[in-house]
Amino acid sequence: MSDQDPIDPRLEQAGASDESLLTAHEKLRGWKADDGANYRMLPLVLLFAFSGLIFYAGIYLNKYSVRYSPSAFDENAPANTGAGPAVKVDPLVLGKKNFESVCATCHQATGLGVPGIYPPLAGSEWVSGSNERLIRIVLYGLKGPVKVKGVEYGAAAMPVFGKVAGSGYNWSDEKIAATLTYVRASFGNTSPAITADQVTAIRTKEGDRKEWSQEELLKLP
Amino acid sequence: MTTAPHAADNAEVTEVDTSARCALLLLLAFAVLWLVVSGVLALVNLVQLHTPALLADCSLLTYGRTHALQETAFIYGWAANAGLAVALWILARLGGSPLRSLNWVMAGTVFWNLAIALGLVGIATGDGTSNAWLHLPRYVLPMMLVAYGTIAVPGVLAWSGRRHETAFAAQWYGVAALFLFPWIFSLAQVMLVFVPERGVLQALVAGWFVQGAWTLWLAPLALTAAYYLVPKLSGRTITSYEFAALSFWTLLFVGAWTGGRHLIGGPVPAWIPTIAVVSCALLLFHYIVVALNLRAAFSGGGSTVMKFMALGLGAYVLGGFIDAATALRSVAAFSQFTYFSTAQTQLALTGAFSMLLYGAIYFLAPRITGQPWPSVVLIRAHYAAALTGTVGLVIALAGAGWIQGHDLRDPLVSFAAIAAHVRPWLLIATAAQAILLFGNLLLAAHLVRLIAAKSAAPAAGLFRPAPAMEAPAS
Repeated sequence: MSDQDPIDPRLEQAGASDESLLTAHEKLRGWKADDGANYRMLPLVLLFAFSGLIFYAGIYLNKYSVRYSPSAFDENAPANTGAGPAVKVDPLVLGKKNFESVCATCHQATGLGVPGIYPPLAGSEWVSGSNERLIRIVLYGLKGPVKVKGVEYGAAAMPVFGKVAGSGYNWSDEKIAATLTYVRASFGNTSPAITADQVTAIRTKEGDRKEWSQEELLKLP
Repeated sequence: MTTAPHAADNAEVTEVDTSARCALLLLLAFAVLWLVVSGVLALVNLVQLHTPALLADCSLLTYGRTHALQETAFIYGWAANAGLAVALWILARLGGSPLRSLNWVMAGTVFWNLAIALGLVGIATGDGTSNAWLHLPRYVLPMMLVAYGTIAVPGVLAWSGRRHETAFAAQWYGVAALFLFPWIFSLAQVMLVFVPERGVLQALVAGWFVQGAWTLWLAPLALTAAYYLVPKLSGRTITSYEFAALSFWTLLFVGAWTGGRHLIGGPVPAWIPTIAVVSCALLLFHYIVVALNLRAAFSGGGSTVMKFMALGLGAYVLGGFIDAATALRSVAAFSQFTYFSTAQTQLALTGAFSMLLYGAIYFLAPRITGQPWPSVVLIRAHYAAALTGTVGLVIALAGAGWIQGHDLRDPLVSFAAIAAHVRPWLLIATAAQAILLFGNLLLAAHLVRLIAAKSAAPAAGLFRPAPAMEAPAS
């Protein structure tokens, strides 16, 4: 642009030819070594500005995206952290799960056991009878002969399930209570539920001990 | 100022310009025609806002239809035609060879504008859709897509056959705009008009389309003109040019994600507006770099083209910052769904886009016609009208929007009271729109005179050989 003559708006003259415009900018592209260590402020300022924007964007996104939930329409809704009240577990559901994964191996899914080896649970006087005896069998196990529904069994031993010394399962009192509740409500059995507190009471009373025998159990109420 | 080595390199007008004369003038003539049509309709539309009785009995021109008509005529008539003409011309000049298949460009231009004329009649008679920026009836849309292709392909060819392997910033923006529009436009056609999405997704696609058509099509077209003309007129290289590429890619990657800002406060999952708020903030980097790159436009000088550039770039950058500010939810609570959003759109369209394109047209037309514009007064008057009209329109609508936003939050203020409160502001906006229309009529008359005038002097003699650009400071 020349300084001497005024610019005619009807016919604006170019300040540079296209060819030189392209070549000049071609030279500007690409990395130039900063030999004299003359740090230019502008690139640094822009770097910080862009980083600042990205930082702000990250914080904002984290705070107001409500975990990208498709059903959250309020950006201030508290994100679901999983810290809500614990869900109540149905003992029959938990008990069924435990029974099918462990107990059914010997007592069978039908609860009928295997004649001559594993005693049945269906209609068993041990199941629907005394709480005290039943809980003790599962907590500490049972060794030696046992008479169920008039038939003598003795080939196999009931393992130790409770959180006691020598236990292979370490089931919690809740787990045992749920499993027993399930067994007492299934296979035609209609006995009342067993609570975790009842199991805890017996476990604290007995402490650590060896497996029960039929004689010891029959002395209990 | 150094003397160039040989004439071929620095001749300002070459075969590139003369060969494209007819095609580009056809595009520009249609552009200015639709600009005037859109201006008249916009004026009627604004008057209807404060005097609802106007044309209320004429079903062709009720408020809703004049709104759709002026918007369509502006975007697909003025902006598309003018933007394509300028982008084609700049891509051809920087590519170094005349545009190819210009007959196809002219055929495409005729069909594109035929489709718009048909579309406007369709909207007026009730065939229009309810989508913002896509009111056109369904039967003209496929034809527009094909016509666009025939116009845009020579521009892409000019870029792919360029002599300098390293493309210049103006070329990036031009080619990106040419390429991206068919994608945005065809997707919006399918998802909004032919097989409309349902529920929340429809609002999302509509927001994405409006924002995409601006950030990925119209804004790059306007930046093509700015990145070419500012260094071309000033004779100096772009400052901090090394950041231009990062700024370009920021616009391309983040731009369309800001679509959700139209849905803040709307019934969409919260994370969608949140992404848009964040993208608006990230896009500030693009605006900062554009302002840095092209700050030579603001350093004054007597060039009228440069004054248009300065206005357009100022509006563009300001618009970016206002978008980011109103995207914040606490601000959007006042500005969203009011006249303030309209003011933002006007700042972008008439402030940024039109100003940059006016400047480009004043620079381009003498080069392709081979003669100067007939009148200095008309150019200066158009500049003054465009400046006062845009400033008045944007400020009046923003004021109206702010009052409306505050009033709407107060349950004790009735709708009738709100309408009375904003009425003075809308009257100012109407006056500003009239001034804009007057300026655009001057441009139209001037362009007719330029085309009609017989060439007096050979084109080559009019333009001084352009000097070589100063070597970049090390």
